[in-house]
Amino acid sequence: MSDDPFEAIKVTFFQECSELLGDLETNLLALENGEGDIETINAVFRAVHSVKGGAGAFGLEDLVRFAHVFETLMDELRSGRKECDDVTIKTLLRASDVLADHIGAAQGVAPPVDAARSAGLVAELEVLTHGQAAAAAAAAPVAAAADEDDFGFTPLTLDLADFGAPVELPSLELPSLELPSLDLPDLAALTSAPLAAPSAAGWRIVFRPHPRLYASANDVSLLLRELTRLGQTSVELDASGLPSLEALEAEDAHLIWTIVLTGDVSEAAVRDVFDFVEMDCDLSITALGGAPASVEADLPPLPVLDAAPAEPEFDIAALLAKAAAPVEAPAPAPVVAAPEPAVVAAQAPVAAPAAPAPKPVAPAAPAAAAPSSPAAVAPVTIRVDLDRVDRLINVVGELVIQQAMLAQRVMESGLARSSDIALGLEDLELLTRDIQDSVMAIRAQPVKSVFQRMPRLVREVAEMTGKRVRLVTAGEDTEVDKTVVERLAEPITHMLRNAIDHGLESPEEREAAGKPAEGTVRLAALHRSGRIVIEISDDGKGINRPRVRGIAVDRGLIAEDAVLTDDEVDNLIFLPGFSTAETVTDVSGRGVGMDVVRRSIQALGGRISISSNPGKGSTFTLSLPLTLAVLDGMVVSAAEQTLVAPLSAIVESLTPRVEDIHHVGGHDAVIRFRDEFVPMVDVGRVMGFRDDATTLTGGVVMIVETEAGSRAALLVDAINGQRQVVIKSLETHYRHVDGVSAATILGDGSVALILDIDALVTAGRRKSNRPELKMAS
Amino acid sequence: MSVAISLPAVLDLRAAEPLKTQLLAVRGQETTLDGSDVERLGGLCLQVLLSALATWRADGQALTFINVSEALASQWSAFGASAADLAPQGQLA
Repeated sequence: MSDDPFEAIKVTFFQECSELLGDLETNLLALENGEGDIETINAVFRAVHSVKGGAGAFGLEDLVRFAHVFETLMDELRSGRKECDDVTIKTLLRASDVLADHIGAAQGVAPPVDAARSAGLVAELEVLTHGQAAAAAAAAPVAAAADEDDFGFTPLTLDLADFGAPVELPSLELPSLELPSLDLPDLAALTSAPLAAPSAAGWRIVFRPHPRLYASANDVSLLLRELTRLGQTSVELDASGLPSLEALEAEDAHLIWTIVLTGDVSEAAVRDVFDFVEMDCDLSITALGGAPASVEADLPPLPVLDAAPAEPEFDIAALLAKAAAPVEAPAPAPVVAAPEPAVVAAQAPVAAPAAPAPKPVAPAAPAAAAPSSPAAVAPVTIRVDLDRVDRLINVVGELVIQQAMLAQRVMESGLARSSDIALGLEDLELLTRDIQDSVMAIRAQPVKSVFQRMPRLVREVAEMTGKRVRLVTAGEDTEVDKTVVERLAEPITHMLRNAIDHGLESPEEREAAGKPAEGTVRLAALHRSGRIVIEISDDGKGINRPRVRGIAVDRGLIAEDAVLTDDEVDNLIFLPGFSTAETVTDVSGRGVGMDVVRRSIQALGGRISISSNPGKGSTFTLSLPLTLAVLDGMVVSAAEQTLVAPLSAIVESLTPRVEDIHHVGGHDAVIRFRDEFVPMVDVGRVMGFRDDATTLTGGVVMIVETEAGSRAALLVDAINGQRQVVIKSLETHYRHVDGVSAATILGDGSVALILDIDALVTAGRRKSNRPELKMAS
Repeated sequence: MSVAISLPAVLDLRAAEPLKTQLLAVRGQETTLDGSDVERLGGLCLQVLLSALATWRADGQALTFINVSEALASQWSAFGASAADLAPQGQLA
């Protein structure tokens, strides 16, 4: 991370933008599904407003301008002046896409925004905001306003008061000594005596920034400037909390402002000024003349500069809360952010000994954001450099290996299981496992972050293909390792495109087939037997098997007379270079086909399969490990090699009896297992450790279940025990080997291969009866 | 003998700490702050300057602004800070 604090803040801003965009999408989709309420609209408004605020601080003008128009419409919606209908929501969804483009472009991670598209949406948003006729007229001033306003603040449909005028510019020749100097304002002014007799209606705003306000590149000067745009202001500064220069931490915030704003200004307009800093300040907005005099009588004694240090510290938040309480404002109660104890402590008067003034909390820490309501306790989080987490995970992995090796040494030394050392080792093992689980949990993330990107993709692909699509997602909160989450985006994107482009029919075709014109694509995540399963299903036409088969034969991928099951035909689409699109489309037929998807999934230790029902649709199923770091495995031996079978796949182990084994055809054998015949796979032979077909008895059989739910019996020489192993990628250190998902280091220091059960079972079938079907590996 | 410090053009978030350090280095001495270059004044630098004024005052020393730019003057007052402090004779008698 850069040492430049501005750069660091910018990085944080973009991180926050990505979270805000996620919220935005989620809330807009909730509105689309009819699940939203006024709070949802507010949340959308806040997200856009926060983006705008941050963007303004960094001078990202295009972004500010777009966000401004977006926000203006949201403001209309939340005020109830405009109804939130379907057309509006659809436009907002597209606007959120463009907003994301603007953010991406500003961040430099995406190409420049398509100006025509952005302008088009701005026009649409304005039509929705102002109505057709007014939109054109509104467009010009809004753009001009955004230009003029470096920091992209609030709408300028408001009265533009001359910035300096209401404050009464100082005349430098003023004789100064009569004026109050630094041991300033009688704090009573904070809440009581009007600073200027407000002849008209207006507001008294008491505002105390937190250090975070500055740390996020905001400044009071900008807020004050915004207020002067709303009406006449009179600003009073309270510097009584300011420590001496030595005790002052330059990034802390000690000043309190009281602004009396007169004029015909709505409370909402005032709040808007503070909207995206309201979490970063104490703020009280009260109507002028509205607060009964009795309020002031209740106020606690206020400290002055020379107050004895023993005097109770001035709690601005409590004070503001008291002042605010009796106001009969029709609007929501004044915002009083929960006080941060650290900041209150920093209120120590100048005379006090250098109090340990709090360092401003790193802007990156969301924890610093005080919840707007004391009841809403936000989870406390910190951002940690991923490298550190990975280093920790790696070290814990080594710890697990070391612990296993130690356990093995102890066992070999012949110590009794009940000995203190053996018992201590067991405790150590439990503890190690706890540490490992906890460390893994740090990296676990919900797949939401990937799923959230998909509605946009679906909208765009639907637009391009002229199809009507509804995306239904489920299981967004399913957690999986961060690396897996990140690497899921591409295959899911590809498969969704594929599902819409190739799977779904056009609205006309659908109606002709008696289906609703709008197709449904379902994206779901779930945990199944220690893995995460992602399903992408559509209710389209399903796979055209004769055509798929024809293409595979034409391209020499299979022999003309190959006998394939439906399942095998469906899976032909994963062969390299296979593309069913007759014409290459913009959407999915770019020559990279499902084989690429399959390879990327395999690289993650996952598998992909498809099931299709002609006329009814297809389902792609991705199955991935939850973590790429550890695995519960069964250590087995076959042909003198030590191997590890993932425990999650094993249903049962048994010693086969001769009478249960039946030979079918040439090399094939099946074993009777609970009134069911299960194909046998000789692991040593399929893995190529030996060529001869040994006797199928004498070893041990593990009944395993594949992802597709079918069963197979893996024949091995012996089972050596069950243990947790640390996964070491074979691809990283060597290359992909069919039938092997990874490797591990055992307690004795030897390397063992971890079996990829599905691949092994498939390879077993190939080896025995269909050598002509060479599936890609 | 008065020490002179020339204030930078931009007194923002980033300028606050250096400004504080610069001022602390001359504490105890009569000081003039040349504000001719100042174009922007932010809340954090305002704090530093106000705190310095109070500190100098407590030390019985003068801290005086000279050549106050228009921007500094207008932003200072927009903050609601006392114009007296900015005036050339702003020290306590």
